[in-house]
Amino acid sequence: MNRSHRTGLSLIEIVLSMGILSLIMLPVFMTFSSGNINIQVTESEFRAHTAALELMEQIISLPFKLIKAGEYDSGQIIEGRSFAGSPVIFRVSDNPDLKPALKIEEIKRENKVVFKKITVTIAYPSARASDRMRDFTLKTLVANEDI
Amino acid sequence: MKTSERRVTGFTLTEILVVCAVSATFLATAIMLFTNFRQGYSRSENVAVLMQESALFLARLRTDLNNAVLSGPSADFLRQIQAAPDQLSFNVYSSRHGRIQPVVYNYAALPDGGRLSRREANEGERVLIKDHVASLTWQVQLERFATPGSGTFRIGLAIDLQLKASLGKEKPFAIKTTIFPARLNRQLNSR
Repeated sequence: MNRSHRTGLSLIEIVLSMGILSLIMLPVFMTFSSGNINIQVTESEFRAHTAALELMEQIISLPFKLIKAGEYDSGQIIEGRSFAGSPVIFRVSDNPDLKPALKIEEIKRENKVVFKKITVTIAYPSARASDRMRDFTLKTLVANEDI
Repeated sequence: MKTSERRVTGFTLTEILVVCAVSATFLATAIMLFTNFRQGYSRSENVAVLMQESALFLARLRTDLNNAVLSGPSADFLRQIQAAPDQLSFNVYSSRHGRIQPVVYNYAALPDGGRLSRREANEGERVLIKDHVASLTWQVQLERFATPGSGTFRIGLAIDLQLKASLGKEKPFAIKTTIFPARLNRQLNSR
């Protein structure tokens, strides 16, 4: 049998072409995968954003003198726990993946506190069941209306 | 002509079978991968749509509650937000109209997915979420803290919302939060 006159494709050629085709298809599948990851990240960001607003609003709802300066971490910001040793308590919706932190600073002018700067930071997992954490930060100023 | 000089140009049966087996394996893997990715993507897409709807609803409600103001008879000052299972109402200051006017949210629980709508003053009702609400509760939380003086009030509205896709069998998208109307709380405590 004289094989030099055969015109069909060899097995190696077919396998190689399939390999090239898989390499081309791989980025297409990766696009779907990265789309899923992005949606998961957006969901985590939305939950962190909602938690940050919840913490921020409950603090700025208090009278100015009750907004005590200090730093509070996720060990202190717990549902029903006292805020700065006062009768006011934290209200935190159940979300074990999020780690909130709160910082309140006084801004003085002529020895009077004119503003309080409130910074809320929520650490959240970048994707579902991920150990990598990201931070979402929200800041605002509360004016002293008594001066 | 001798038969030994005949030229063979086709594939052998073994070559064809091997190529078929390799192609079938490759195609099966590709189809399986594509189906899995497509299902995952479709699931995530549903979550994204539900998340967007809940985000828009919460943003709308938060804006309204931030515009909520003290109104009504002074004896009734703690009942600024009225919440029933199917209706939520309170008064807001509308800067566009320059007056205080009521805002009403209605929730209709339906077997195929509830509907959530909003109405301001005498304007027409606008649907915020159509057929996707699996469950919704809103509860007014009134707290009174024993601080020096007459104490401190804080009103909050606890929301527990679950949305589900119309056709999907995936688990609903759920979010819980409490909205504290800062302006209303400040007015309550400066009375």
